[in-house]
Amino acid sequence: MQILRETKLEALKKARKLGQKGVLKILEKKALVGRGGAGYPTAKKWRKVIETKSDEKFVICNADEGEPGTFKDKFILKHNTETMIEGLLITAFTVKAKKCFIYLRGEYDFLRKKLRKQIDDVVKRSGMNIEIEIVRGAGAYICGESTAIIQSIMGFRGQPTYKPPYPSVSGLWGKPTVINNVETLTCVAQAILYDDWDPDVRLFSISGNIDNPGVYEFNLGVKMSTIIDIAHPKKKLKAMSFGCFGGIMPIDENMRITPDTICREDCHHGAYSIIFIDETNNVVDISYSIAKFYAYESCGKCTPCREGTIRLLNLLKKVRQKKAKKQDLDLMKEFAEHIQETSLCGLGKTAGQHVITSLEHFPEDYRNYMKK
Amino acid sequence: MKIDIDGKKVVVKGDKTIWHICDEIGIKIPTLCYHKSLFPEARCRICLVEMDGKLVTSCSTKPRDGCNIVTKSEKIKKARRRNLELMTPHAPTCDIDDDFEVCKIYNEVGMSNTRFEKIKDYKPDLGASVVRNNNICINCGRCVNVCADIQGVHAIDFASRAHNEHVTPYSEKRLAEIACIRCGQCIMNCPVGAIRERSHLDEVQKALDNPKKHVVVQTAPSIRAALGELFGMEAGTLVTGKMVTALKKCGFDKVFDVNLGADMTIMEEASELLKRLKNKGPFPMITTCCPAWILMMEFFFHDLLPNMSTCKSPHEMLGMLTKTYYAEKSGVSRDDIVVVSIMPCTAKKFESTRPELESAVDYVLTTRELGRLIKRNNIKFTKLKDSDFDPTLGLSSGAGAMFGATGGVMEAALRTACDFATGKHLKKLEYKEIRGMKGIKEGSITIKGKKIKYAAAHGGANIRELLKNKDKYHFIEMMACPGGCIGGGGQPIYIDPDVLAKRTQAIYQADRKLPIRKCHENPIVKEIYNKYLDKPLSEKAEKLLHTSYTMRDRF
Repeated sequence: MQILRETKLEALKKARKLGQKGVLKILEKKALVGRGGAGYPTAKKWRKVIETKSDEKFVICNADEGEPGTFKDKFILKHNTETMIEGLLITAFTVKAKKCFIYLRGEYDFLRKKLRKQIDDVVKRSGMNIEIEIVRGAGAYICGESTAIIQSIMGFRGQPTYKPPYPSVSGLWGKPTVINNVETLTCVAQAILYDDWDPDVRLFSISGNIDNPGVYEFNLGVKMSTIIDIAHPKKKLKAMSFGCFGGIMPIDENMRITPDTICREDCHHGAYSIIFIDETNNVVDISYSIAKFYAYESCGKCTPCREGTIRLLNLLKKVRQKKAKKQDLDLMKEFAEHIQETSLCGLGKTAGQHVITSLEHFPEDYRNYMKK
Repeated sequence: MKIDIDGKKVVVKGDKTIWHICDEIGIKIPTLCYHKSLFPEARCRICLVEMDGKLVTSCSTKPRDGCNIVTKSEKIKKARRRNLELMTPHAPTCDIDDDFEVCKIYNEVGMSNTRFEKIKDYKPDLGASVVRNNNICINCGRCVNVCADIQGVHAIDFASRAHNEHVTPYSEKRLAEIACIRCGQCIMNCPVGAIRERSHLDEVQKALDNPKKHVVVQTAPSIRAALGELFGMEAGTLVTGKMVTALKKCGFDKVFDVNLGADMTIMEEASELLKRLKNKGPFPMITTCCPAWILMMEFFFHDLLPNMSTCKSPHEMLGMLTKTYYAEKSGVSRDDIVVVSIMPCTAKKFESTRPELESAVDYVLTTRELGRLIKRNNIKFTKLKDSDFDPTLGLSSGAGAMFGATGGVMEAALRTACDFATGKHLKKLEYKEIRGMKGIKEGSITIKGKKIKYAAAHGGANIRELLKNKDKYHFIEMMACPGGCIGGGGQPIYIDPDVLAKRTQAIYQADRKLPIRKCHENPIVKEIYNKYLDKPLSEKAEKLLHTSYTMRDRF
């Protein structure tokens, strides 16, 4: 796997030789984009931080991977930690930051002790004068969002703030801050060192009603049937979900996975995670689980998401209790769209997708629950 | 930058949000979580407008050059209505007593009912001054922000997440158990009435209905500059005469003026300052008219205990004089007298329960409660004729009137202290440098060759700021609410911060209108000292008009 290639501090050595401009140039040439979900060009993000004048700059490694069905960062943290730390050092070197934070997902706390040791070891060997602090998340999904992560590190409630200003201009304590996730930082080190590094390779987290769940590497444009063959479902598949935010889609074996096909219009295409659902499931139940997730993980800041997610959950509960009428489904659709249209952050903007898609693609499953 | 708003070309100068640009050209966009004096958080999602076809919150979004903004469309109206529907299944009732901000928005978006059921089930939190009902709270966060950013107290914040997010004092305690200074600024910022004053209206009505009781009412300096707003009058209209008439119509036996209490406070306070100058300290001496500031000191600044003036606040002094001096003079038994203070303040409600004060004031009503009392008595306030305070304890100087505005206590004290120190009748009356809405104001004056430095701060955050340099000064005035008492937590709720400046103008107008402008020249003050108290800081005055403070734990 490309992601497991180690760089052994050679990438940092090369980066120091290339200098700030050289590093940016190489990342631009290799077309490295963020792997957290938005797919923003890494060099462009760093350049903004470099251009913003400030006495202090920060780097945050976002290890708060919380999307349901996504577990690829854990894989990297377990198996190629040192390369990730090296990527962090290269970032700090390039944007001239003296302090970095690794925001570690609360549930990954079991990795913390080893991670701390490896950080100290790599920093010592690198000879860089830099401080890397591990900040433990407290179990909020929203803290993976770039502005919420900043609030959380500063000790405030983990709630997103509106953008602009973007963190690259005004982040931690109002200073320009780079936020990259674990996979991106690992790729930074690898892209700088290896000439044959392939920018189209992505990590996929595959799970659901299948025999072979796990982390896989595929090139963008891979055919869904290829993935299904490897995943090996026991029964006939009915639906798939690209994380929760993508909603629930009917299986399409001929689909080629690219950012555009996962994500219609401008939603975040997320980290490539696929949950397969087979025919033994009613999609309403899946939608109900997802609604529970949103009604629990909404940060509570803005009205539509705070109040709307619990309403969607209650309406789905009503459907499952066979008490729903047609007007309840209409209300669900109306407010699912409303939440997406008027919420503040990415969570709210996708919080109704599962309702919209399930109503659109699986009306039969709803009808099964409506029958008296 | 050129943009297009509702089909009109608009040239935008400077770095402004869409909400402010629209406000300037007369387009009012409804909002619940945004207030001009606070930082926008974009929580409520009511101020939505369309920018190039996409819904954005106007309070937090700055326009792009050449963009097309629509502020009124069916899409916007629907989105606003849905958000209102989501947040207010526990809607407050909008009756004649109260006109909440949210009621106006109900009308604007055309919402009459919500399609959702009530789900919140919180216990009400009853403090001595402030009561909270989380069930009608819409999580706009204005109370949290004003408490933290403007007042610097941080008594309340959000807890939990998703639909369980709710405003609460820290550690989920009750308001009565925490370091809350009872200033009531949270009430001033609540658009739905989820936070309100602890009402004493029923108790007062009971006393009024009891023929055995001699109910005396006294009104604070700032009430007359704000009460009219509750009856649709322009902000900054002085309604002293109408207020007195209304109170008499409500059934109060005597109407006294707290401005006289303010005059008494100055007599004591100016004398205390001169005593400290003679004894060389402790400095700075800090005023104690503001009960919220006293609480702030007791919770957060224990080392300032010796710096605090020992003077009771004006209405407590006057209440005490009513139950002693007036009782003796009029022959009414002290036990039959009920003293009701009309205050711009919620902290005064707490103050009257302080054990060390042995308060003579039985009930404190806010300006808003007085408005309710007048409305309940079906009095047409705007049509009332003027009448005067009861002369026994109703004549006051202009200096006393200024207590309502930030810097006013300082100015009144300086007028008297300078005369006292020099033994002359000085011409200097107005100390302009400590007037106005600047957060921290300072000045200096030379008395008998000694330079006296003084300062005034209003709003808790400014108080904290001023205290960083406190040792520079001899005399400091502290008022916990923005603008002083005219912006107090018991005043009519205002949305536009300009209202404060208008009320302040009315206060200074009241000062200029009065023939006597120095406290010690007030004939009633002279009479009280001649016949009853002897002189300022006399043993009797110390007993009746002074108090002490305690240190309080925050946890």
